[in-house]
Amino acid sequence: MAGRGKLIAVIGDEDTCTGFLLGGIGELNKNRSPNFLVVEKETSIAEIEETFKSFLIRNDIGIILINQFIAEMIRHAIDQHMESIPAVLEIPSKEHPYDASKDSILRRAKGMFSAEDFR
Amino acid sequence: MGLSEKEECVLLDQKLLVFMDQLELLEEKRERLNSLIEQGWFSMSKARYSMGNKQVSALQYGSEMEPLVRVHTRTLESGEAEFQTKRRTLKSPEERQVEDIGPKDKEGVRRRVKTQEVPEIDQSDNKHPWTETEPAPSSKPEPNPQQDPLKWFGILVPQTLKQAQASFKQVVELSAEVATLQSAVLTTRQQLWTRQTRRTDEPG
Repeated sequence: MAGRGKLIAVIGDEDTCTGFLLGGIGELNKNRSPNFLVVEKETSIAEIEETFKSFLIRNDIGIILINQFIAEMIRHAIDQHMESIPAVLEIPSKEHPYDASKDSILRRAKGMFSAEDFR
Repeated sequence: MGLSEKEECVLLDQKLLVFMDQLELLEEKRERLNSLIEQGWFSMSKARYSMGNKQVSALQYGSEMEPLVRVHTRTLESGEAEFQTKRRTLKSPEERQVEDIGPKDKEGVRRRVKTQEVPEIDQSDNKHPWTETEPAPSSKPEPNPQQDPLKWFGILVPQTLKQAQASFKQVVELSAEVATLQSAVLTTRQQLWTRQTRRTDEPG
């Protein structure tokens, strides 16, 4: 795993973004788009989806962290993402605990099972 | 020569067991991840309580930031991806530009004004405090993008904010492990599905 390494992006509410920026993942300068989006009440679904898609296109982002309640708003876009990089991790928020049944990855992993698979 | 039905079944069973183990491990790591995130929020809330509501918010973010942690990725032959974080150590005090706090030397209360006689000036020494009467230009310390994000919130921050940072640093490390496991789970699931389909399609 040589090279400079990729960024970790985050799409979340203010507390989530503040926490991860404290953790040292943030990149912000005049030359490049930031690797985080603070989602507020006024933030439109279109903006969230556009930011998510822009993170997918960038080849310098390895992991995208997204609050699950925000992921629900753009579920169709997340379900369409089939590549292993960047990885998309759904995380809880203060008001919305993590629900494994809604996670795209786990639904893909478990949902294809049928009784035939165990014969 | 293909595998016999029995061998195929054994392989499928083994793959299924691997898949179940991976799912179980993923669930454990996820629980730990979520728990650490909640711990971080709790510490942040306590810090906000002592510092003030607006003192721990997006308003304090630095105007420039450089990531202190990056993730290295590798794709295996099976299509599975591995993620590993690498954290950069902050520059040592010698390498970092020292922030000047307080008045500069030349901004003293008293200024020596040049008199009529001109003293001999040593050519090697360009700085001559007795001849300079104008104050040194005040320089605003430029934001250091590589600084510890904790410094955005003040010079002296409460211990709870440091605890919040420590929690989220662990979350970042764990995120890479969870991402690796997610990729492994999906790859194993795909392999299971491929084998199962092949077994079903084969005659007899």
